[in-house]
Amino acid sequence: MTSFRLSSLRTFAAALVATALAFTALSPAHAEAKKDFKVGWSIYVGWMPWGYAMDHGIVKKWADKYDINIELVQFNDYIEGINQFTAGAYDGVMATNMDALAIPSAGGVDSTILVIGDYSDGNDAIILKGKDKLEDIKGQKVNLVELSVSHYVLARALENIGMSEKDVTVVNTSDADMIAAYATPDVTAMVTWNPMVAEILKEKDAYNVYDSKKLPGEIQDSLVVNTQTMKDNPAFAKAMTGIWYETMALMSGGDAAAEAAKAAMGEASGTDLAGYEEQLAATKMFYTPEGYIGFTEGNLAELTQFVSKFLFDHGLLGQDATSPDYIGIELADGTVVGNADNVLLRYTTEYAKMAAEGKL
Amino acid sequence: MRRLINRQPDVVVRFGLMLIPFIAVVIAYMIASEARLSANPNDKLLPGWSTIAAAIERMAFLPDQRTGSYLLLQDTISSLTRLGIGVAVATLIGGIFGVLQGLIPYFRATFSAFTGVLSMIPPLAVLPILFIVFGLGELAKVVLVAVGIAPFIIRDLALRTEEIPHEEIIKAQTLGASTWQIILRIVVPQMLPRLIDGVRLSLGAAWLFLIAAEAIASDSGLGYRIFLMRRYLAMDVILPYVAWITLLAFTLDFALRLFQRIAFRWMYRGN
Amino acid sequence: MTRVTVENVWKVYGDQTVLESVHLEIEPGSFIALVGPSGCGKSTFLRMMLGDEAPSRGRILLDGVELDAEPSPDRGVVFQKYSVFPHLTALQNVMLGLEFAASPVMARLFGKAKRKAKTEALDMLNCVGLGHAVRKYPSELSGGMQQRLAIAQALIKKPKILLLDEPFGALDPGIRAEVHEILLRLWREEGMTVFMVTHDLSEAFKLGTRVIAFDRVRTRPEEMKAYGATVTFDLKVDGKSVPPRPELREQLAAAAQ
Repeated sequence: MTSFRLSSLRTFAAALVATALAFTALSPAHAEAKKDFKVGWSIYVGWMPWGYAMDHGIVKKWADKYDINIELVQFNDYIEGINQFTAGAYDGVMATNMDALAIPSAGGVDSTILVIGDYSDGNDAIILKGKDKLEDIKGQKVNLVELSVSHYVLARALENIGMSEKDVTVVNTSDADMIAAYATPDVTAMVTWNPMVAEILKEKDAYNVYDSKKLPGEIQDSLVVNTQTMKDNPAFAKAMTGIWYETMALMSGGDAAAEAAKAAMGEASGTDLAGYEEQLAATKMFYTPEGYIGFTEGNLAELTQFVSKFLFDHGLLGQDATSPDYIGIELADGTVVGNADNVLLRYTTEYAKMAAEGKL
Repeated sequence: MRRLINRQPDVVVRFGLMLIPFIAVVIAYMIASEARLSANPNDKLLPGWSTIAAAIERMAFLPDQRTGSYLLLQDTISSLTRLGIGVAVATLIGGIFGVLQGLIPYFRATFSAFTGVLSMIPPLAVLPILFIVFGLGELAKVVLVAVGIAPFIIRDLALRTEEIPHEEIIKAQTLGASTWQIILRIVVPQMLPRLIDGVRLSLGAAWLFLIAAEAIASDSGLGYRIFLMRRYLAMDVILPYVAWITLLAFTLDFALRLFQRIAFRWMYRGN
Repeated sequence: MTRVTVENVWKVYGDQTVLESVHLEIEPGSFIALVGPSGCGKSTFLRMMLGDEAPSRGRILLDGVELDAEPSPDRGVVFQKYSVFPHLTALQNVMLGLEFAASPVMARLFGKAKRKAKTEALDMLNCVGLGHAVRKYPSELSGGMQQRLAIAQALIKKPKILLLDEPFGALDPGIRAEVHEILLRLWREEGMTVFMVTHDLSEAFKLGTRVIAFDRVRTRPEEMKAYGATVTFDLKVDGKSVPPRPELREQLAAAAQ
């Protein structure tokens, strides 16, 4: 019996060690100089160039130049990519500024926006069924992905007409099911983004009553990287920046090559060249490093405060947050918006400037 | 040395062995959580106990700042209502179709292949159809749960019905019973406890469909909360919710088993 | 009193002939014991009597009328197993036949009708010596008690014919003798015709007024499919017999002693 107890104790210990080892896989990535990098992206008009760059050797070309390996991994689920980045499994991810602040930054992961690729200029829209004024939304059930950019657009829109979220009922709805949801009779109001917006607006009774054209620059689609990883591996930041602007130059060339590239991107996102052009029209792309640098020198401080306030109001800056300023945001020129002792989101134009000067 | 298959742990050892995997997971979690938190005190993936406790207090025992309701309670009521109605509908359909399919050859010939094919369709893959037909409200969620598990219950019960000894059916006929009387007095009373077994087996799937339905379009519910919290990786809320769902599922299963023992004593007498 | 006539009955499954050219004339009130080796078709014959299966050729007549093609209350049955309903108490099992007849929709009786049925069922249970166990479920009864319950359950319908398919095969010898006595008493009292399948020859001779043996006449392997079993031996227990096969006669004679 005693020996059995002893042996079961040993089994116990072994099981414990095994489980602990399994959990160590969850340990945070330790920042240091390294050669292999993983970046997550998902299907969206402003991020399709990344997929194109991966498929057409641009990624490999720049990785080889800096003697590193870069793998771009496509996530069918946008949020899962950001969660993986936050957990430390990925070195970079494509995300909006709002999600970058709410997920990795609020989760204590110091993150840097390396490149802003575009901002939404109509891609996110509030659609009403059979009504053509935003004011008609009062009292309706609104289907949207809760706590997403759509939710933000709704909050900002309501604020602009003197209403608040209390005037509507928000129903969390999966983005994959928006088009099917719109087709059901009990759905009468919806906030979503492209390509769903374009699809839904084809319906006769669908009215675009408010879109992100009215919120220029507030919804930025960016490449977000782990700050420590970036500092330890400038080569990674240089290569990513190089990839982006080479692809941008190709895409905006206005020649046959540009058309072919855009057609490929459209196809990869499930539409065609015409459909993709239509989405691009609702997207303010920064085709050049100068465009991005110029944007960061504008009213970025003010824009970030709108986002911080929304996140704070919805408890997304963490339970310890006592004000929208709880997390500090460092702008490209080094000034900090919010709490300077808790800077967890940074904008940088250092590498974009290198690109502009041709030093990459 | 006796063979391993013949060695029985005594009560104390058995209890200890039972606890080992649970303790191992908890300790491993603590180690890994500690490691992550020392690297990043705000880590969301494996929060510490105090963070989890605070989240539990916030969700279960303090009214929500915006709505004034207790979120855990509200979510639990929403989910259990949907689950209860969905499972009840599936049980009713499963009971009726299962018995008829198992007992009546013409019914079996008509529906057996159909329910067989139906049970192979993954309900989540035909969600848009369910939405168009049943809307996006409560009905669609209940229907998803019901549609998700009813084919299994039908097939399971049809098999159990076919397993009733042929002798019993013959005997009932020699006692002058009509088809209806056989269903009412012989088949249904014997199938009710089997139906409970079928429901118990499909409860896991029912939870899965419920949570999937709540993830797709909802404004309350346990699955809704988990998927919403997942948007910003609030594992301090998600982990207690998962534990709570597990506890609810376990309790439901236990309650059904208890009910079966009390209501159908004939199954347990004598043997 | 019911006369049973079996006219040239054949039973064929696919290309396998099980029974062929069975002719029998059964006097009312007989106790027929059906014997024969395994697979000789005696149980198949019983199932045809029951109406559970139909003859492939020929017909079976009760008092000159062809048998219903499905089981009916004029033919009661007791199987070796599964004769009683596990979810009903002994009393409920016996009352069931009365409830089916009197309550087509609910299949349950209430009030006065229920009390009357209960009295009748209790009498029947007392007859088979189960008066002390009326509230027990079958799983709480011994094998012998279960078979007595099955007999009581069948007899409450006052069937013209009682069919027994190896009813005592699983019982201990002592208990078997006890149930034999009960069965013989009820047979005499009710005046019904009994068909009992058994593989126990001494039981056959002890209970039966007539012992009928089924067997295959042709046993060469290549003939096994095309030719079935038939009545090879038909013996009135008071002495008259037409034995076609000597070895079986010796066997029966030995058993009769």
